[in-house]
Amino acid sequence: MGYSRGGTADGPGSVQHLRLQRGSSRSDIFPKLVAMQKSLKARNFAVFRISGAGLPNKRKLVCELENWGPNAVENSNRLLREFEETLLDHVEMSLLPLVWSGNGSGSTMDAGEFSPLIRRLETAVLPFSGVVFPVRLGALGNGYVAFFADHLTLDAGSVIDQHVESCQIMMDLLALDERRSVPAESLSEREIACLQLAGDGRISEEIAEKLGLSVHTVNAYLGSATIKLDSVNRIQAIAKAIRLGYIT
Amino acid sequence: MELSGMDVSAQGRPIPENDRTPLMSRDELVRRLSALAGSQNLQVIMRLLADHVGASHFLLARYDLIQEQGLDFIVTSNWPFDLVRRLGSELASAYTRSTELEKCFSVLTPSFALLPDEIVLPEKLSRQYCALTFSVGRTRFSLMLLFVEGVILSQQHLREIGLLAAYGASFVESVESRTERDFELTERELECLFWIAEGKTSDEIAVILGISRNTINNYITSVMRKTATKTRSEAIAYAVRNNLV
Repeated sequence: MGYSRGGTADGPGSVQHLRLQRGSSRSDIFPKLVAMQKSLKARNFAVFRISGAGLPNKRKLVCELENWGPNAVENSNRLLREFEETLLDHVEMSLLPLVWSGNGSGSTMDAGEFSPLIRRLETAVLPFSGVVFPVRLGALGNGYVAFFADHLTLDAGSVIDQHVESCQIMMDLLALDERRSVPAESLSEREIACLQLAGDGRISEEIAEKLGLSVHTVNAYLGSATIKLDSVNRIQAIAKAIRLGYIT
Repeated sequence: MELSGMDVSAQGRPIPENDRTPLMSRDELVRRLSALAGSQNLQVIMRLLADHVGASHFLLARYDLIQEQGLDFIVTSNWPFDLVRRLGSELASAYTRSTELEKCFSVLTPSFALLPDEIVLPEKLSRQYCALTFSVGRTRFSLMLLFVEGVILSQQHLREIGLLAAYGASFVESVESRTERDFELTERELECLFWIAEGKTSDEIAVILGISRNTINNYITSVMRKTATKTRSEAIAYAVRNNLV
């Protein structure tokens, strides 16, 4: 059997275990971002995540964490108006950091010898310079960690360090999400087995035969799994079960 | 199995695990990589990165192609060929054993595993190998390294070269067309898949997209044919597994 929540759930390498290693709330992530900001000599940071993944024209970036203070909404909106499309496209094909120079007088962005490894954006709107690190974890938790200042001077070492760290930040956020979205009642082993087989293309009759149950029982298991996963039908339940890691 | 890398913080560099300094400094590595930025020669880039951590052999695999027959999923490698052929099926089954969520949490985290006992290794190579995964766009890659017995790889350096390998793959990916890897599904078919995964019925999708229910069903049939799946459930499972929705 592929993966089960019971038994080995606390062993090293399990999702449960990976979750425990990570911070328990957003307030644990904030100081990490402040430290990263300091090491890049930036003035502000912001973390954006992609929501509505899947449907190309429904995806958008959501600002999850920032330290802009009272200007937060204004800055975030301005940034997204300017770059949202570009950022959404970029993370679909590349992991190279993006930078821009602000249009304010004397606002600069110097990438030095790192220039061939970054992509430069043009802006006539944003007053501040910035560097954004794309993070691609997989089906979930993708987005950008961004840092802003009037003057940014990047050196290879800090770009690499902070990009690696940005991946950790996005994993921390994903871990917090997953903790919240765990179904109210956990799925039973039978329910997981039925979902797995249904996802592998078996019809209820085949599942029944394979597990030595009646067709009605199989349908009942799939029905209760659907309810527990807060889904409207078994197809949505299968999609959710894969995304949540109950089945593969 | 997996060594914890949680002590590696943003600021502090960990105490070097051994005295062997990398063959070149990080600045030098970045300079050389920058020079290769236009070339799209992944083999040269991976060689450079493997050298940097002190690994003797590298293998870069892309997992979106692993379900297919043959060794197409290997992007570039200097592993002994026999080993690659033997390991192909092993890698594929290990990949399907872990869940998407576990994969998301393992990005840039080096993990160590042992090669099967019956494999004959060139002299002095360690039976342990190191794997690092990363994603560029929808493609998940794994960089696997072999090293000489006794060499200890630094967690910090491994994470760095994982990131730089992703940069290297980005040079190539940016040029490659995006649609090519969408299993040749059309925009409309993907849209249907998305709504089905959200639990919508054909009738509901017909209303949402403003086209007839029969057209929707045709799209879905066509998806099932293209993805070689037998039921709607399997088609959706396939789409979720491959990050299409």
